[in-house]
Amino acid sequence: MSELKEKLKAQIIEQLNIEDMQVADIDDDVQLFNENGLGLDSIDALELIVLLDSQYGIKIENPAEGRMIFESINTLAAYIEKNS
Amino acid sequence: MKINTHSYLSQLGAAVNGKERYSFQENDNWTKELYVHLKLDYPKFHKMDGLSKMALLAVELIAEALPNQEITEEGLHLVFSNAGSSSDFDAKFINSYTELNMPSPSLFVYTLPNIVTGELAIKYKWYGESCFFIQKKFNASFFEEQLKFAFQKGASYCLCAWVEDHPLKTKECFVFLVENSTNLSLTEEVEKIYKQYKNE
Amino acid sequence: MPIGKNNNLGSMRNVYLKYGTLISPIGNGINAHFNAFITNTSGLNWVDSIGFNKENLPLGKISIPENNSLQFMLNSACEALIKEHTSDRLNSPKTCFIISSTKADLSQLPNDTFEPLRTILKAHFPTSNEPIIISNACISGVVALNLAAQYIQSERYDDSFVIGIDAISDFVIYGFQSLFALSDEMCQPFDKTRKGINLGEACGIIHLTSRKEKAFCVEYVSGKTSNDANHISGPSRTGEGLFRAVSNALKEAEISATDIDFISAHGTGTIFNDDMESIAFNRLGMQGIPLNSMKGYFGHTLGAAGVIETLICMLSMEHSMLFKSLGFDEQGTPESLNILSENQEKKCQYVLKTASGFGGGNAVLILKSVR
Repeated sequence: MSELKEKLKAQIIEQLNIEDMQVADIDDDVQLFNENGLGLDSIDALELIVLLDSQYGIKIENPAEGRMIFESINTLAAYIEKNS
Repeated sequence: MKINTHSYLSQLGAAVNGKERYSFQENDNWTKELYVHLKLDYPKFHKMDGLSKMALLAVELIAEALPNQEITEEGLHLVFSNAGSSSDFDAKFINSYTELNMPSPSLFVYTLPNIVTGELAIKYKWYGESCFFIQKKFNASFFEEQLKFAFQKGASYCLCAWVEDHPLKTKECFVFLVENSTNLSLTEEVEKIYKQYKNE
Repeated sequence: MPIGKNNNLGSMRNVYLKYGTLISPIGNGINAHFNAFITNTSGLNWVDSIGFNKENLPLGKISIPENNSLQFMLNSACEALIKEHTSDRLNSPKTCFIISSTKADLSQLPNDTFEPLRTILKAHFPTSNEPIIISNACISGVVALNLAAQYIQSERYDDSFVIGIDAISDFVIYGFQSLFALSDEMCQPFDKTRKGINLGEACGIIHLTSRKEKAFCVEYVSGKTSNDANHISGPSRTGEGLFRAVSNALKEAEISATDIDFISAHGTGTIFNDDMESIAFNRLGMQGIPLNSMKGYFGHTLGAAGVIETLICMLSMEHSMLFKSLGFDEQGTPESLNILSENQEKKCQYVLKTASGFGGGNAVLILKSVR
């Protein structure tokens, strides 16, 4: 699980062009879409849907579902474990 | 109307009011190099297309000359132009669905040239009029014509830009801030400044 | 606009809008469109396996033997102009062409995607001025009309032909799919169950001129743009840019919000856009004014939308007939609006056309019937 989390952080940094952060800067429970967290926005959320599909073969049909899944690295990793 | 301040960026370097401000070490990622040099803290920058990155940097270079927020909020109008539209990101988006088999939303949202004016509006809280024109090449008299209209429409200042990010053209950004003062023509002056920047 | 008002120009000439032409899946020419709107007939049709994952989608796609609908539409539209106007006028140094388009001809990449449009115009109007090209996402058409009006007012040109044109391509279909913005059903602007947009393609031309010729005329009153300064792809939650653009246009026209008799809204059919418009129009006190979206007839035609929807506004003004907002059944926005659920006979003095789009742009214009 922790291996998956580290991999996810690296993928998120690359896919979303978060150039001023390293894997070590992202805590497992930091709020991804909070201004005080990673500060991601609605386009990033759609790009995460693309990431889940292309890297993990998981399809999310409704972006509204994504909101809970993408809350933090913890929730995202748990969702991938459950669905892949 | 009168030119207040201007700046120019290309892979060779950055200049303000005709004076070199910075010359790039790297050729690949020179927009990031300037971002770091200017000590900007705007993480969204890294997600932008080349047009938005260049325009944002060129405006940061003349930021001190911008009038205060009360004036810029609606009194600053934007007149932007290029020849190649958003072709760099158009090609990247096409690649995302033809080669990577997954259309990328974050590329698609930059496949419009006027996104650059939107990014500037967001960063500086500019709510005023703006327009993006596609022209065959840089055309100083066209800018002057649009400036006249903007000042007739009530603008106090106009930010003009020629910003190009196209695989077959010079990647560059030229911005000039114009204020509504005297009624002199500035086509020749604008032409001259642009040519000097390009060493023509 | 009343003479002698509001700016450094001193007195300005009046500007009148005249029908150019309109080519869409509904048909060819203005009359074909009047007949379709009066009978609430949509140009949207199901197209098989057109989505990225081979989904069937409703689209406003014209059926022609040629591949390149962009070139077909522009050639047909130019031919229609040649039938209506003298060669002297079309090629005059006092005439300008303004093109409004978002994607032009993507098949040209990496070469200039807008060049084919210039080439076609040059072929039909060999000595005309170089066309002015505006690319401001979905507000392009309204911005182009506002600029054309300034050119006539300032006497730089006597005639201006505003050409709104965009074609459907895999590029825009896949792009809007990637944003989850496409509906897999017929679009339902402002409705409770709306799911997103349907794409369309069209070419419309409006002729702006200083000459008032007929007994009935549509006069240009004012127009403004404003940016949301909020997000590049999502509309402002408070409708800020639309609110500012409409307020400023009303101010320039020296009329009040409730003087407007009809609003032709943007109404794309996405949750966020239509919610935003309901909020902005309520902030403006315009919730009681009859309003429609024409996306249920044409789909979203992007750079053409502002021009072709203004053409339909001109029909509403001339025939004193407001058209049903096709696809609307039940209120589904946070603030209520007076959406036209049937055609309605109404004499309109002032009409407001609005558009909002990517890049946070909002553009509006106000027209007036002169009898």
